[in-house]
Amino acid sequence: MRGPLLLLGLLVAAALLGPLLLAWPYDAIDWNAIRAAPGSPGHPLGTDGVGRDLLARALVGTRVTLMVALAAAVTSLLIGVAWGATAGWIGGKTDEAMMRIVDALYALPFMFVVILLMVLFGRSILLVFLGIGAVEWLTMARIVRGQTLSLKQRGFVDAAEAAGQSGGAILIRHILPNVAGIALAYLMLTVPQVVMVESFLSFLGLGVQEPLTSLGILVKEGADEMVTSPHALILPGLLLVGLVVSLTLVGEALRRRFER
Amino acid sequence: MSVWEVENLSVGFGARPVVEGLGYAIGAGECVALVGESGSGKSQSWLAPFGLSPGQANGSVRLLGHELVGQDEAALRRLRGAHVGFVFQQPLSALTPHLSIGAQLAEKLVAPDPARLEAMLAEVGIDRPAERLKQFPHQLSGGQRQRAMIAMAIAHAPELLVADEPTTALDASLRHDILLLLDRLRRERGMAVLLVSHDLASVARHADRVVVMRQGRMVESGAAGAIFQRPCADYTRDLVAATPRLDMPVPPLPDIGAALLEAGNIVVRFRRPGWRGGWIDAVKDVSLRICEGEAVALVGGSGSGKSTLARAIARLGPLEGGAVRWRGVVLPGRNAMKPGDRKGFQPVFQDPVDSLDPRWPAWKSVEEPLLRLRPELDTMMRREKVAAALGEVGLDAELAERRPGALSGGQAQRVALARALVSDPDLLILDEATSALDVSVQARIVALLQDIQRRRRLALLFISHDLALVRQLCHRVVVLDRGEVVEAGDTRSLIESPRHPVTRRLVEASQ
Repeated sequence: MRGPLLLLGLLVAAALLGPLLLAWPYDAIDWNAIRAAPGSPGHPLGTDGVGRDLLARALVGTRVTLMVALAAAVTSLLIGVAWGATAGWIGGKTDEAMMRIVDALYALPFMFVVILLMVLFGRSILLVFLGIGAVEWLTMARIVRGQTLSLKQRGFVDAAEAAGQSGGAILIRHILPNVAGIALAYLMLTVPQVVMVESFLSFLGLGVQEPLTSLGILVKEGADEMVTSPHALILPGLLLVGLVVSLTLVGEALRRRFER
Repeated sequence: MSVWEVENLSVGFGARPVVEGLGYAIGAGECVALVGESGSGKSQSWLAPFGLSPGQANGSVRLLGHELVGQDEAALRRLRGAHVGFVFQQPLSALTPHLSIGAQLAEKLVAPDPARLEAMLAEVGIDRPAERLKQFPHQLSGGQRQRAMIAMAIAHAPELLVADEPTTALDASLRHDILLLLDRLRRERGMAVLLVSHDLASVARHADRVVVMRQGRMVESGAAGAIFQRPCADYTRDLVAATPRLDMPVPPLPDIGAALLEAGNIVVRFRRPGWRGGWIDAVKDVSLRICEGEAVALVGGSGSGKSTLARAIARLGPLEGGAVRWRGVVLPGRNAMKPGDRKGFQPVFQDPVDSLDPRWPAWKSVEEPLLRLRPELDTMMRREKVAAALGEVGLDAELAERRPGALSGGQAQRVALARALVSDPDLLILDEATSALDVSVQARIVALLQDIQRRRRLALLFISHDLALVRQLCHRVVVLDRGEVVEAGDTRSLIESPRHPVTRRLVEASQ
């Protein structure tokens, strides 16, 4: 797990600190260097068609993508844990009803739902992660419910009831802390999924808005000029792959640790 | 020539030895019992030479003259397959869930035919063998599963049968039956049997010789009867003394006061899972009364409804009919129970590690009942109560900082006991509270209970399947079978002259 963790740390550090060290901000236009090649003075990786520094844009894009992904994953964690723990704890008919709602939402083609939201309410970064988070919580809810059901059978939950603790108190004191480990591990696995979704939406032109950028937008722009300037595609592409792979490997390692 | 010869055997994991200098031999038709507490190395001493554990075996182990130590996996597999049968503790996990008993049994034979398979099941005493062949492991009872396991283990007529804790997962009366079956098979087939167990008393009657192990070393070995009657080593003596027997003297029990808990006409039913539904009556119209300072035992086989009844009384499980009175006042339904209603009685469960929150240090688990049941106490007073309770159950303050994962079974059960005692209840409901523990640990917990019982004049509802244990703690015994009380009375006369066949079987099994 050390390798992926190191790569992830490097990428996050580069995304957060990198832009501060560069001569050109991500949205400034250098009129003297439009469509500059890599290695030009001041632009180590060249510029795009309107003279913006490509390295700065790639690093800021990584930052935006990570932010959206984290925010969406945390949204999914909050909804998923609340929904799953409630269903599992109450059990019976309530559990049945709540989990059938989850099943129904699973059946929706969620990409269409997100696109529809974008079209109806206009494009905004807030809507992007709310939309994604509202869909990604389904798996989290199922996992948390399963864990809650099995924890409910344990002796220490009975002992807490015998100790006079109310249902809500048992949920907060005993169930949630014991679910937390595995929920966090799955949170780490949700982040790379959301990175992919965000990039896909941005690629379609439905993600964040110019001049702000994200890895998806950069990949799309790079792909448009693939023949003339391949480097504009390669760097954001590599960053995207590195981010998704390292996040997935770290998440997998965490999951295995908590699932014993 | 001996079938199985062990000479100066040591088993190690890396540099750490778990077995050292072990030596014994089993001849054809003989049974040797390997006895020790968990962690004594008794299982590793046969798993490692057979290549069934990652432990490294040194010394000499010969099966029918073939040396096992130093053999490669292929050679070991041939020897195991040709000459040895294995029976394990958990028949449910040792059987493949998706194959019928017949299919699994057929795997053992070159040319299986139904008549042969039926005969094999009949030999191990399974009723209606033709029908059982088509059933799956989950449809059989625990005893039947273990019999099926034995049928599979002896299908290829092995010279050696290794039975590792074959009866530990079964209740007392079934234990006896399975050991008798092993006796009969051994006599009829002239098989050598290696019986591995933590329970000296139950194997002593069935083995020719006993090897007592402790911390990887042989403590004592000799003829079974001699070891049980006249143990030489101190450890063996403790082990024999720790085993509850029906002829041991009983300490005086505390006096009985006014009625504490009265459960009247308790009915518990469960909805049968699956499409067809319907109801299972787990407890049918049972009444029970416990007075101050009185210890009442609830005994019965597995599935008799004793745990379900206890949970209903403790208001931790469903209650379909009847009422529970506490000092004359009817207790409300489970969800309407106030902390004040729960103050008088506390439960202790079978699996001590499972009954403690894995994320909490021991002291925090002990403190929990004080928060709601004794809200008048402040932090300092709570801390004192916790320390006093831990002291009462004989637990070091240093252990109180540990989480359950870092405690032994006996220590964890002491923590659970401290948690039950800390709020000063009048009644403890002990659901098989000692049966997951080693014999010697169980003896210490029982001694502790006797001490607390006398000192606090505590009433006990003691659920167990072991009458010898019950005899040491309880004034009265209630025998439950299939959810109904079949016999009840004071402990002495019930054990001396049991009337109902279920009681008689339980007494026999505890002898």
